[in-house]
Amino acid sequence: MFSINLKQLSLPLLSLFAATVFTSCDNDDDTPSPAAGESPFVLSLAVQGSDNTYTYYTVPFEDVMSGTLSAVGQGIEQPGYFDFRQIDNTIYSLGGLGDVNVVGITQNESGDLTQIGDVSFANSLADIVKADDNTLVALELSSTSDVVRFHTIDANTVRVTSTKQHPVSDITDLSAPSYSGMQVSGDHLFVSYYISDPTTYDTPYTDEAVVAVYSYPELEFLQVIEDTRTGPIGGFNTKTGLIQDEQGDVYAVSHSNPANGYSQTTKDGGILRINSGEMEFDQDYFFDVEEVTGGKNISHLMYLGNGKAFAEINTADNANQARWSDGPLRSAIVDLYAKTVTYIDGLPEHSGSGRRLAALHDGNYVYITVPEATATYVYRIDVANHTATKGAEVEANFVAGFFKL
Amino acid sequence: MNAPLTLVIGILAFICFSNRLWSQGLDGASVYGKVSATSGDALVGVTVMLKNTGIGAVTNTEGRFQISNIPAGSYVLQVSFVGFEAQEKTLQLKAAQKAEVDINLKEDIALLNEVEVTGKSLVREVNEQPFTVTAISAKDLYNSTSDARDVLNRVSGVRILEEGGLGSNLSFTLNGFSGDQVKFFLDGIPMDNFGSSLSIGNLPINTIERIEVYKGVVPVWLGTDALGGAVNIITNQKNNFLDASYSFGSFNTHRASLGGAYTNHNNGFTFRGSLNYNYSDNNYKVWVPIVAGSNVDGWTEVERFHDRYQSGFVKLETGWVDRKWADNLLIGIIASANDQQVQTGTTMARAYGGLTRNSQTLVPTLRYSKDNLFIKGLNVSLYSAYNNTKSVIADTLKGVTYNWLGEAIYTPGSTNGEYISARTFTTMTDDEFTSQLNTGYVITPKHSLAFNYSLSYFKREIFDREHPDKPENQFPRSLTKQVVGLAYKFDPSKKWSTTLFGKLFLQKAETSKQFDFALPTQRTEAIEVTRNNVGYGFASTYFLLPKLQLKASYEHTYRMPLATEFFGNGLFTQANPDLGPEQSNNLNIGAAYQFTLRGDHHINLESSFIYRNSEDLIYQVVQVASPETYFDNLDETRTLGVEGSIQYLWRETLRLGGNITYQNITDQADFIYNESYTGTGYQRNFQKGYRLPNTPYLFANANAGLSFKDVGLQESALNLNYYYNFVEQYFLSWAELGSTNNKKVIPRQASHNLELSYSLNEGKYNVALECRNLTDARLYDRYYLQKPGRAFYVKLRYVL
Repeated sequence: MFSINLKQLSLPLLSLFAATVFTSCDNDDDTPSPAAGESPFVLSLAVQGSDNTYTYYTVPFEDVMSGTLSAVGQGIEQPGYFDFRQIDNTIYSLGGLGDVNVVGITQNESGDLTQIGDVSFANSLADIVKADDNTLVALELSSTSDVVRFHTIDANTVRVTSTKQHPVSDITDLSAPSYSGMQVSGDHLFVSYYISDPTTYDTPYTDEAVVAVYSYPELEFLQVIEDTRTGPIGGFNTKTGLIQDEQGDVYAVSHSNPANGYSQTTKDGGILRINSGEMEFDQDYFFDVEEVTGGKNISHLMYLGNGKAFAEINTADNANQARWSDGPLRSAIVDLYAKTVTYIDGLPEHSGSGRRLAALHDGNYVYITVPEATATYVYRIDVANHTATKGAEVEANFVAGFFKL
Repeated sequence: MNAPLTLVIGILAFICFSNRLWSQGLDGASVYGKVSATSGDALVGVTVMLKNTGIGAVTNTEGRFQISNIPAGSYVLQVSFVGFEAQEKTLQLKAAQKAEVDINLKEDIALLNEVEVTGKSLVREVNEQPFTVTAISAKDLYNSTSDARDVLNRVSGVRILEEGGLGSNLSFTLNGFSGDQVKFFLDGIPMDNFGSSLSIGNLPINTIERIEVYKGVVPVWLGTDALGGAVNIITNQKNNFLDASYSFGSFNTHRASLGGAYTNHNNGFTFRGSLNYNYSDNNYKVWVPIVAGSNVDGWTEVERFHDRYQSGFVKLETGWVDRKWADNLLIGIIASANDQQVQTGTTMARAYGGLTRNSQTLVPTLRYSKDNLFIKGLNVSLYSAYNNTKSVIADTLKGVTYNWLGEAIYTPGSTNGEYISARTFTTMTDDEFTSQLNTGYVITPKHSLAFNYSLSYFKREIFDREHPDKPENQFPRSLTKQVVGLAYKFDPSKKWSTTLFGKLFLQKAETSKQFDFALPTQRTEAIEVTRNNVGYGFASTYFLLPKLQLKASYEHTYRMPLATEFFGNGLFTQANPDLGPEQSNNLNIGAAYQFTLRGDHHINLESSFIYRNSEDLIYQVVQVASPETYFDNLDETRTLGVEGSIQYLWRETLRLGGNITYQNITDQADFIYNESYTGTGYQRNFQKGYRLPNTPYLFANANAGLSFKDVGLQESALNLNYYYNFVEQYFLSWAELGSTNNKKVIPRQASHNLELSYSLNEGKYNVALECRNLTDARLYDRYYLQKPGRAFYVKLRYVL
């Protein structure tokens, strides 16, 4: 009798068993270990999900000039919206759109990426910059908050050592300042911003450049400096409005690009300078970018050295740009001293990559990623020769950071 | 005595006696009496029938029965009960006669030794429908501190995700369908519109008779657009009872429940009601990062400090039952309210100390049902309800935030709110009307038809006292849904039953939408969305052996977004006016087998396989960074799942059971759509084929129970129950990308609950002790939303 029952049992038992088999087949442990040997390149890959959220994977690679670069089974995962900044040998991830944390990412001896520090702020950080070898300064400036906060961070431990708070009304009574760049030079900290309505994102004030000046390291508010030779500094989330050369001179780029968030343009774009030790714009320096490019503006700028900077330049003049499009762009080398622009050959016109410039300066090369029709590719730009070489395919919806550790 | 006074007394007398007069005025005779065993014990649930008439009754908890409206004549009264020898008595009834017949049943010793229960319980009958359905009787659990949620969480394929303690948000998943793809019904009536103060999370077990879980295809008579399945909670249907219970325990939790019904058998007048109150401080300990001066200074255990919850509801119903013109005609009212502090958003990254929400709901109801209306075989039921809910969300603190230590951090000069920078004091007024009509007609025993129509109209008005001009609050929001269903049931033999059905889904939504975000043309406009869809399917069951049942069902169906998915909940759940209906093709195949070994060992096995292809799956998006969440459509997903359960019963003493569920829900979309204005358009989906984030895929339950009778005292019972729950670790994000050792996970969890209950006087007095989360494990259902640790509860219960 028992044996008959067992036979009758077989069908339901089989399916029960099937559940177990299905389960045991499912194994997530086949993670490839990080590339053997040196993997000096690190890319922060942003992948969009079908639920329209993004997850970022910061992944080390040995070679970025061939094959495909993918986050399958590797990399540090960060769901949300993140900005990445490399300062010395640490990559800092800044949470945005609700995330208020900052984590440092470094590479250990075996080439694995590890996270260091964990700091959490009241609002998302607008940016983080290097003040000296051991100190970083982070800024909270949000269109929905009525306070500006500075945090000084120990670069070695990624711990906040002090916080300084000021009312937003110090720098403007208008609604609301939108962050566009920050630099520490000598005793001064400069913050550039433009006014953007938090509801409509309209920019009704485009007649002058404004930069707030704070003392460093005290971080006391000093003054707001203005210049009417050009419009506001920087653009929507480009965060490269201010750059600094070896002498400590700060260069401020204005473009008023609709493609980078402006609803109107009332001044030609150009570059202003604040000389080292000063807290005013140098009235003798003005780089009339539009005159050199024939009406085109610089949307992103990265300082390279000896007065040279890497620039992304809109191919359309302001009147013909599609608002918010961050493109189409052409890459160029800008000489801040000689006031010249040299476009790069071998690189297609391209759209921006997640609103920030994700570029790596490594010796004679600048690496960027370019979204093309069907996929995104790495391009290596020879800074001296103004040429570019196509490299690996990137399996990501955009690249949020391109680093070398 | 003056004339007006006489008149008043006369009217009063008429009102008081009219029911009596009417019932006596009918010529129907009646039979009543008590059925007891030779020992003298009253027998409950005994069927008493008038042979060959189809008229009969079942004895109540006191062993009493009553059969009314019997035409004069001679009858044979049949009394039968499992384990007892059947009895027959001849009766001669005159018009309007009331005959008392007491019956003594002799125990059938031979049968008792090797009892084979062939009479099917209602639970069994539900389980044998062609639909994939699990029915659980709640009776065994009446002494436990469980609520509907706990019972459901032990069903295979079911996973209830809780965000915290008592009163916290729950989400229900059934074979990978989540959120409101699974519809809840209370006695066949959609629960959507009862308001948040009456939900499966606070419905006490004592008000429930049984719970039916339909997986996948849902019968037409539930009339729903649920595409993942449905849960039908059947409340206590007894005509006369009183059940009072009170439980208290950890985290200052108190729950009181009083339910009862009174029915006059002479005139069918009935009055039933239940009263419930829940309170908890929810101050359980959680493991959180301590932020001091912006630095995360390690992790520590702290008590939740702003999570108090209280709710109450009253449900009253009155009318007539078992009349010639109605099996039920009941009008009722549900009044409920809750009041809640809000500790966290959709993750525990931030603690709130001032945020609160509350709501009040009033629901008048009407219910009518009649079997064999006008003609034999025509069954009709109608339910209508109107719901008015007012809820308030308050974030009015200025320049104050809280940390997990409960310390207020002041920002001088700041007027920012705690959660919403601009602060809010939002009042939402929701009005909803629902109505459901079911008709069934048995053409011949082999052919029957069912027709169903359901209508719901939802309207919401929002006012934010802090921002009276908020553009999106200026537009009407409404949602009208209609579902029409027609089913044909064919039962060619006792072994085989098949149902074919078609459903028509009609939906109209009025809402507002922001267009051209951040462009000069940015504007908020009223929009109206109308969607009409047709669904169809079949469900079939076949008994291969008398105890081996096979089931298969297929459905092509649609689900309309719910009001909360469309319009949000005013706090952490954001509105999404672009949310569309989801459609899916569902296939379920299952088998159930039960057998008895050597008389004492009863074994029940069930297993099923699920395949689902969904387009535009309505999915809740949770981001680690944000306290906010919203619903969105996922282009294309596929579910493959298996589940199995086993139950073992030895006599009435030992119960063992377990179930396991595996479901692999994967993204099948080739492209994703980027709408960031840079590179806008379709892009490659790098996660095609990967498992859906934030969704459990492997989980299991087990339970063991021991029952002893007459422990210490006569007519007492002692029960010991153990429950085990297991969920495998799952990822917050899509499964394959990133190094597995630093992916954000919802960790593997195992929890143990233990219950001891003792009842006296045949269940009249009961006391139960319960320990939940015995090992004090850190349990999470949602990313970083920790559930309570070890907790103890005591429950006292009195049943009349």
